Amino acid sequence: MSETTEVKKPKRPLPKSRVMLNALVDSIYQAAWDAEAKGEPVGWSTSIFPQELCATFDVPVLYPENNAAGVAARHDSPRFIATSEGELGYSNDICSYARLSIGMAHQMANDPNYEPPSVQRMPRPTFLLCATNSCFELLKWYECLSRELDIPIFMQDCLFNYTDAKPAKHWIAYGRSQIEHNIHRMEEFFGKKFDWDKFLELQKISVENARLFDECVLMNDRNPAPLNGFDLFNYMAPMVVARSRRETTEVLLQLKREIQEHIDNGTTTFGTSPQEYRVDWEGIACWPNLGFNLKTMKKYGVNCVTNGYVGAWSLHYTPGNLDEMAEQYMLSSTNVVNTTTMMGKRADVANHFQCNGMFCHINRSCKFMTYQMTCGREIVEEKCGIPVVFFDGDQADPTIFNEAQFETRLQSLVDVMKANKEAEQ
Amino acid sequence: MFAAGIDIGSTASKAVILAADGGIAAKAIVPIGTGTVGPARVFAQALEKAGITRDDIQWITATGYGRFSFEGINDQKSELSCHARGIAHLLPATRTIVDIGGQDIKVMRINGKGMLLNFVMNDKCAAGTGRFLDTMAKVLDVEVTDLSDLSFQADEAAEISSTCTVFAESEVISKLAANIRLENIVSGIHKSVARRVASLVQRCGIQPEVAMSGGVALNKGLVHSLEEEIKHPIQVHEDCQLAGALGAALYALGSMRSA
Amino acid sequence: MADVKNLLAQFDDISKNPQRLLKEYLNAGDKVIACFPVYTPQPLVLAADMVPMGIWGGQCNPQIAGKYAPIFTCSLLRSCLEFGMTGAYRGVSAAIMPIICDTFRGMNSAWRAGVKDIRPITFIYPQNRKDPGARDFLIEEIKTVRSALEEISGKEITNEALQNAIALCNKRNAVMRAFCEAANDHLDLIRPADRHHVMKAATFLRPEKTIEMVSALTEALAAEPVCDWKGKKVILTGITCEPDEVLGYFADNNVAVVGDDLAQESRQYRSDYPAANSAIESLALHWFAIYGCSTAHDDNNTARGQMLVKLAKDSGADCVVLCMMRFCEIEEYDQPSVIDTVTRAGLMSFSIDIDQSTTESGQALTKIQAFAEN
Repeated sequence: MSETTEVKKPKRPLPKSRVMLNALVDSIYQAAWDAEAKGEPVGWSTSIFPQELCATFDVPVLYPENNAAGVAARHDSPRFIATSEGELGYSNDICSYARLSIGMAHQMANDPNYEPPSVQRMPRPTFLLCATNSCFELLKWYECLSRELDIPIFMQDCLFNYTDAKPAKHWIAYGRSQIEHNIHRMEEFFGKKFDWDKFLELQKISVENARLFDECVLMNDRNPAPLNGFDLFNYMAPMVVARSRRETTEVLLQLKREIQEHIDNGTTTFGTSPQEYRVDWEGIACWPNLGFNLKTMKKYGVNCVTNGYVGAWSLHYTPGNLDEMAEQYMLSSTNVVNTTTMMGKRADVANHFQCNGMFCHINRSCKFMTYQMTCGREIVEEKCGIPVVFFDGDQADPTIFNEAQFETRLQSLVDVMKANKEAEQ
Repeated sequence: MFAAGIDIGSTASKAVILAADGGIAAKAIVPIGTGTVGPARVFAQALEKAGITRDDIQWITATGYGRFSFEGINDQKSELSCHARGIAHLLPATRTIVDIGGQDIKVMRINGKGMLLNFVMNDKCAAGTGRFLDTMAKVLDVEVTDLSDLSFQADEAAEISSTCTVFAESEVISKLAANIRLENIVSGIHKSVARRVASLVQRCGIQPEVAMSGGVALNKGLVHSLEEEIKHPIQVHEDCQLAGALGAALYALGSMRSA
Repeated sequence: MADVKNLLAQFDDISKNPQRLLKEYLNAGDKVIACFPVYTPQPLVLAADMVPMGIWGGQCNPQIAGKYAPIFTCSLLRSCLEFGMTGAYRGVSAAIMPIICDTFRGMNSAWRAGVKDIRPITFIYPQNRKDPGARDFLIEEIKTVRSALEEISGKEITNEALQNAIALCNKRNAVMRAFCEAANDHLDLIRPADRHHVMKAATFLRPEKTIEMVSALTEALAAEPVCDWKGKKVILTGITCEPDEVLGYFADNNVAVVGDDLAQESRQYRSDYPAANSAIESLALHWFAIYGCSTAHDDNNTARGQMLVKLAKDSGADCVVLCMMRFCEIEEYDQPSVIDTVTRAGLMSFSIDIDQSTTESGQALTKIQAFAEN
């Protein structure tokens, strides 16, 4: 799972929301370095761990998935992946975020001439936070980081919901027990008392931000869509790294205003080319190829107005209610629920957004999300009657992507969408 | 009496005949491998060069991918052991061997006696193998033997990022369509193979000196790329392609002496 | 000697014909519950008067599984899905499916979509095994498996019946471990494939039958002279080491298998159901006693390597061979650490590919042969 920051130097000035977002992300990294300089704890965390906990302790946490996406988008992933596959001997079958981050951790810990990425440098962590909601591979990945850096893991095991029913009572009890036990363990590890009042405040902000983010995502249901769908990938960053921060609220409020302006003026960040087709993009972005993908889609007038991935931080619970909080962390990720639930939801969204097609990133690095698409294709075709087209790629490993295949697949999707439109008229 | 080693690869057959004193009596290479007339032909050629008949051979050891399919052998040994033995004989200071075969990449660490200490091989994927180079040469419509010279005429290496043979093929075609110099594409292909091989070399661990065996070692352009990737000089013996067959012949000689 | 050969031939036959055994159970009026790898609460099945049978895929080139399973699905589960979709498991009443990796997350959906005639009984093991809430959670989770099985069998599973089934399974485990020990004194008679046949057959047989047949084999071995094995010795680790051809490569090169950490073999039998307040609790506690397994998170992050080193030293092995199930990511994540820990302890270690969708394993042969030659 992931999310990120911008890819290349934009030709147009960044919107204010993005300037605010970048400043916020920079400040999060800076706080981690400040802590490191003082010899205080710094964490690395999976992207949907209950970040309300460390925020309450005021302990800085960085997010390797988010970081890997940024590093890959800047075409800097191969050297870290090479360390993992070469010196360390990891198979190229495992997640490329994992290969990237394990390689980086190894270099950080062992290479006196370690050269960090040009931006978003992460200090060496002193502990790990791992939630298993996005996938099981995360846990195996964090086991490797724990070995590489010799640091402990705080785990929030978020049970995979294999039925369409809501999590049973004993599931929620286990989730709650883990939150409470982790708080207790953290109190010992950080040598600080947990401030429950502050926790409640941060929960309120987190929930508010989740609500605002969902609103922004939903505003793209207009036709034409005010946002180029890929922009949403960028705005996931604050939801990952700063979900419980007031600054995130500010970013999202600003974004909401900007989207509303676009709607009022009939403009869009999709650019000057007309948006002829509305598509639901499924899967993580191909970060190393984001620029090419965007350019190619614009060429064919295809706007990915929505994607399943951005909903992963849609955590809605009543502040103060640990049961609900535990439950939400077991439900939000696309990968913690079964295919009928997940792809049924995606089909509903595709309908709501009036999508003409679904474009699916088949990604060996994100096995289960790929499973969702392979298994759920029938559901979407039945519920929406739209074409579902697959292409091969990877979230961080540039050796798996092929420009010619991407364009050919996109073209074939466009051909079907065109034929469908003509048939309608 | 004589001892023979025959190395039946997936793309070429090689034979070495040793006299009882260990001197090389004949060596031969035929550019077709297992499942063809290559193995029989290479053996016949070696016999002819040595000026002897089959009856003069007391022991034959086979190695290579097709080592089980050659009739009349006395025994067979793995390619890994034979390359190790052969290279240790040709270049005694070698401690790390890289062999790029038709369908396998092997990296071996050996001791001074040519015994294997550790080894790694590629997974089931043609990326970085001799077969990969053959495919790319075909796409570029050049001989695989010309790749080396072409790569030295490059002014920069074109970026070939895909490791998958099918994807890389399409990438090469699109580079050709974009009028990128053929030489630069070849250099890029070498770099792509070298990266893949370097990853296995790192995994096995480098101990100097490093040598390459097998026919692909004759491609100086590729050896150069690999040297850059592993940041280490690589020794190549003129008989590198015969290292496996020589190793097999040395095993055969040992068996002959103790028989 | 004749006894040993005769029994080994029977195990070979059983291990290769689970479908025939399934028909025999069904013809006798028994209900059969398929059990996916790695750990399933099989005593529950026995206590409901049904027969648990392991399912381990098999050598096949899947033709229709691709409809629901991506090409990079773990080779074993891909062939299980293919077999399910093509009717090879027909007659089985249900399949117990523990969610122990991402591929199982996918299989849960793929199975429901593609194998409509076999009900999956899915459940989940808690990975945060140190959390105080994990035990209670697992007890409740196992109770859901119990309810499903009761519904299928139409029989209530009593604590007493479950205690008896647990005792039976523990006895079976002890018998399997005793066989492994005895086999190491007779490496001339128990070749790698023979050992595998015994271990695999036991995943298909009723525990009573396993106890009877394997005990007989162990006894027959005791009557044979102890063999002083001069060849090399290895430990196998991974999910499975199949087919027989691959194990034959070890035998052909004078390499004996003296221990294993394969999911299909010793991981099934090495840890017992511990004593507990109730039978259900005993089933749950089993999960918390598992050590050095790729499917169960351990705070000791080199547990598996250390366990393998100990196993190798105790059994005099020279090498640990990783049998890498194609596209099994949980094993792939463990691979570097296992090799590192094992080689640091002065042992040799290498990986071979295990792929149920191909019979081509020349590379495994080359590696095994090279190991044996040096």
